[in-house]
Amino acid sequence: MGQLFPKSANVLARTTLLLLAGGGALTLGIAYAVNSSSLVTRTEMAREQPVPFSHKHHVAGLALDCRYCHVYVEEGASAGIPPTHTCMTCHSQVWSEAETLEPVRESYRTDKPLRWTRVHDLPDFVYFDHSIHIAKGVECVDCHGNVEKMPLVWKENSLQMKWCLECHRDPPKTADADAKPSDDCYTCHR
Amino acid sequence: MSRHHYDDELELAFLDPLQERREFLKLMGASLGLAGLTACVKQPEEHIYPHVRAPEHLVPGRPRFYATSLSRSGVGSGVLVESHEGRPTKIEGNDAHPATGGGTDVWMQADVLSLYDPDRSQLILRRGQPSTWSRFLEEVLPAFGTPTKGRRTALLTGNVTSPTLAAQIEGLKAHLPELRWFQWEAVHQDERRRATTTAFGRPLDVVYDFTKADVVVALDADPLFAEPGSVRYARDAARRRRDPARFSRWYVVEPSPTCTGTFADHRFRAKRTAIGDWVRSIASELGVIPGGAAIPEVAPIVRDLKKAGSRALVVIGPHQPAEVQALAFAINQRLGARDETFTTIAPVAAAPVSHVEELAALTAAMNAGEIESLLVLDKNPIFDAPADLEFEAAYAKVPLRIQVGLYDDETANMSHWHLPSRHALESWSDIKAYDGTVSIVQPLIRPLYSGHSAHELIALLMGGAGQRDHDIVRAHYEKEWGAQLESKWRRVLHDGFVEGSAHAPVSTAPRTAALSKSAPADLEITFAPDPTLWDGSYANNAWLLELPKPITRLSWDNAALMSPATAARLGVKSEDLVTLTVGDRATKAAVYVQPGQADDSVALSLGSGRRRGGRLALEVGFDAQAIRPAKSSWAAPVKVTKTGETYRLASVQEHHKMEGRHLVRQATIAEYAANKDFAKEPDKKVLNLSMYPEPHPNQQGDQWGMSINLNACNGCNACVVACQSENNIPVVGKEEVGRGREMHWLRIDSYFEGDDADPDIHTQPVTCMHCENAPCEVVCPVNATVHSPSGINEMVYNRCVGTRYCSNNCPYKVRRFNFHLYQDWETPSLEPLRNPDVSVRSRGVMEKCTFCIQRIQQARITARKEDRDVRDGEIVTACQGACPTEAITFGNVASPESAVSREKADPRDYTLLREVNTKPRVSYTAKLKNSGLASNRETKE
Repeated sequence: MGQLFPKSANVLARTTLLLLAGGGALTLGIAYAVNSSSLVTRTEMAREQPVPFSHKHHVAGLALDCRYCHVYVEEGASAGIPPTHTCMTCHSQVWSEAETLEPVRESYRTDKPLRWTRVHDLPDFVYFDHSIHIAKGVECVDCHGNVEKMPLVWKENSLQMKWCLECHRDPPKTADADAKPSDDCYTCHR
Repeated sequence: MSRHHYDDELELAFLDPLQERREFLKLMGASLGLAGLTACVKQPEEHIYPHVRAPEHLVPGRPRFYATSLSRSGVGSGVLVESHEGRPTKIEGNDAHPATGGGTDVWMQADVLSLYDPDRSQLILRRGQPSTWSRFLEEVLPAFGTPTKGRRTALLTGNVTSPTLAAQIEGLKAHLPELRWFQWEAVHQDERRRATTTAFGRPLDVVYDFTKADVVVALDADPLFAEPGSVRYARDAARRRRDPARFSRWYVVEPSPTCTGTFADHRFRAKRTAIGDWVRSIASELGVIPGGAAIPEVAPIVRDLKKAGSRALVVIGPHQPAEVQALAFAINQRLGARDETFTTIAPVAAAPVSHVEELAALTAAMNAGEIESLLVLDKNPIFDAPADLEFEAAYAKVPLRIQVGLYDDETANMSHWHLPSRHALESWSDIKAYDGTVSIVQPLIRPLYSGHSAHELIALLMGGAGQRDHDIVRAHYEKEWGAQLESKWRRVLHDGFVEGSAHAPVSTAPRTAALSKSAPADLEITFAPDPTLWDGSYANNAWLLELPKPITRLSWDNAALMSPATAARLGVKSEDLVTLTVGDRATKAAVYVQPGQADDSVALSLGSGRRRGGRLALEVGFDAQAIRPAKSSWAAPVKVTKTGETYRLASVQEHHKMEGRHLVRQATIAEYAANKDFAKEPDKKVLNLSMYPEPHPNQQGDQWGMSINLNACNGCNACVVACQSENNIPVVGKEEVGRGREMHWLRIDSYFEGDDADPDIHTQPVTCMHCENAPCEVVCPVNATVHSPSGINEMVYNRCVGTRYCSNNCPYKVRRFNFHLYQDWETPSLEPLRNPDVSVRSRGVMEKCTFCIQRIQQARITARKEDRDVRDGEIVTACQGACPTEAITFGNVASPESAVSREKADPRDYTLLREVNTKPRVSYTAKLKNSGLASNRETKE
């Protein structure tokens, strides 16, 4: 029986094998790059909100403390989004007729909550607690970035596990000396 | 189960050898490809809806607890309900409540699922078709208020202990003179009522004090599990089983093994119809009645009773014939136990009547055409009325039939009108506990399906349209408390009960009447409330359906239990389908051969065999009501005939022998006195070899551990349901349980030791042992199960790829695998039920006990915020909190002062399978028997 494949088939086979291996590595590399990019993590992408609430104006301009609105940050897992009532403490007097604030007034009138788009969204199997981080000296800015420079708020950090572990293994300078965070799985996953 | 369809197809490909290879590869390829794609899902956008005005004291993510009471057969048990942002998610015991002492039972734990049950009735039905409230008001109200001359209206309720409801019904009777009120409970206390009337001249309730009782003789009674007050009794009894110097001694005589039976030092088997002879023998030995003892076994028991005197207690089952019970009361009087261990109080029921007589009277009236309209409040008599009353035929003769209920059940189907009722967690009411303590029932959530409250309906019938249940209940107490209303009301809502409202003891001396010799049936059938479904009112509760029944460990079905000897005599074996005939009525049931069952006595529990009222209840179990006679509700002569068919039962434990492996260790008090280290004896030969330094260098900070006291555990299952509720554990269905795929993180094994027919029965809760040398950790290829610095064996769901190596390498078989998507992700009403602090697991991951890591982390966070250590007792695991007997202790084993370290320091402390050197963090306290006689084991050997 004669030869089925010509000699040049060897080259073809070798190239194919090389491409397969190289292609695999390339695919993985691209996947990793995409996964860490803001395409997936959505970092530094301001989100549209029902009311164009500017942290820059309220924090840098008016010097409001974060806790004026995010009241549960020291006691609860979630920092809390202020109730409409909090907005109205000022905006019943200031800018009380501004058109952009109509959704806020409407919410207050009709007793229907505002519908904000979540910017910092952890996966459902992660259990994060604001209060312990605050208690141990982690500053808001350590995770949320310079909110006072954000007209519409965006996510400063990826909130991926890799990023969490950076601090859990090497706490930021602001943190208490006794913070000693744990990198045990059950610290965050339950 | 339709969502399992595709999985099943794949499974068939594995199982069916004739399946085409090509087909199989196609399926595998497709599922592999699809599985890969699922990783590419982008996180969906989420929205936040803050309050418009934030409620005070509510911190998002921090649960709040409210005190209320839950009812079973009309008797209340105080609980605390955990509420997450207004959604009740978990039931906890109320430590302050005198009627529970802080424990819970399976029904209390599972009630939160009943609230969210998607099968609950949601619409007003008129002849089975959706209708409206206004139409109901238009059509029914005038008709109900003004019956045709000479005819009457009737009200059928369950056992009423609610002071407000009772007062309302009295008011309604005054308002509608034609109205007759009937009460019916399938698990009624008719014989107890008759017995106290015979003995004391008026109906009374019986209350025990097990803290004072040194010697207890329980005759066909299950005071630690199935009687009003069981939660408190179990706690009190267990407290007398901690210190070996103060050990109480329990003799139990019963037809079918119960939780109380497993607790006993000496357990005797006797037919229910022969218990009278035991009571007569004890009474005559004590000189209460003339004559001699007919049963030789009672002599040493009576010696013990005499010695203990006023610190003895004879507990007689509430389902024994009245004469037998009355004699038992006289025995307690003679012993001096009255007002010590045995107390009688004015009845807790507002109107203590004979329920069977009431239902019979109602049936007769309906048959005679006297009843023109009938309102059934939260009852299902078409299902649970005694068969020989032929209630269904009589009910059909009533021209206007209205039923209020949680489910569109058998009675709803037979009624002209059905109104959805309100669950206890949605309503205002009040209720009395077994000792008379009054509790206010407060809602945890707005009614999910605009259900109707009994209080509001009765008010409506009295012309008080639009009254709210809250105002009705509050108005009732306004009469009682007057100016103090506001402060007292708030106090009661906070505490969960009215301080000092327990009924005072009544100390009338009993009359003693002679008791004729009992005439036991050749072959008897005994009826009892089901250890999970009760009388059928929990028949659609998935947690309770799947919960393996204590001792038998049967899941989903009830069965006709019989002793090995009886089964052999009848020529049947487990899973044979037989016909049970009582009088001229018959029902089919599967046989389950149960060691410890009395010979010639067949036990069939109530509550199964439902024909309507939820999807889950229908397919399983056997209807005991179909053969339950009205006259003898609890035992009757029976004929058993083989059908030749078989029926598959799903049992989660098929082997109950320890095979010399020392899983449950036990000694008598005398043996213990001679050798305090008896529990460590079997481990003496085990070599303590390890390549690792001790303690493990990874260990840091608090070291969590658990101790389970086998003296206290009676196998009641409360911990299992609590674990399921706390940890979002799915239900898998009978099919899957049959394949050994149940998901419970905590199970209660039962073991039979000694004689095959009459063994010592042990129960043993088994959780993940959190081994320091965990065999599961070393075999995981993806590091999905790892060890924490605090000694917890962790399971990381998101790393798990489902190889199941860990489960195969676990010597304790405590790991559970999600073979299918068991969790119901689609039903909206089940979403608010879930504990938001625990991940909801999906298909293909392993899961297991985490020591309630969410509670540990919460306590750690709180402690670290306050710059202190976690206090001993600050972390209470779900099983520990639920346990009525305080059998479970959890805490830091690194601190010698902690409660768990003290438990583990007991010489009786041992671990399971010491020989595999896993070093479990969960250990057991060996059982002691306070033997008064040669133990079962010894006599049999």
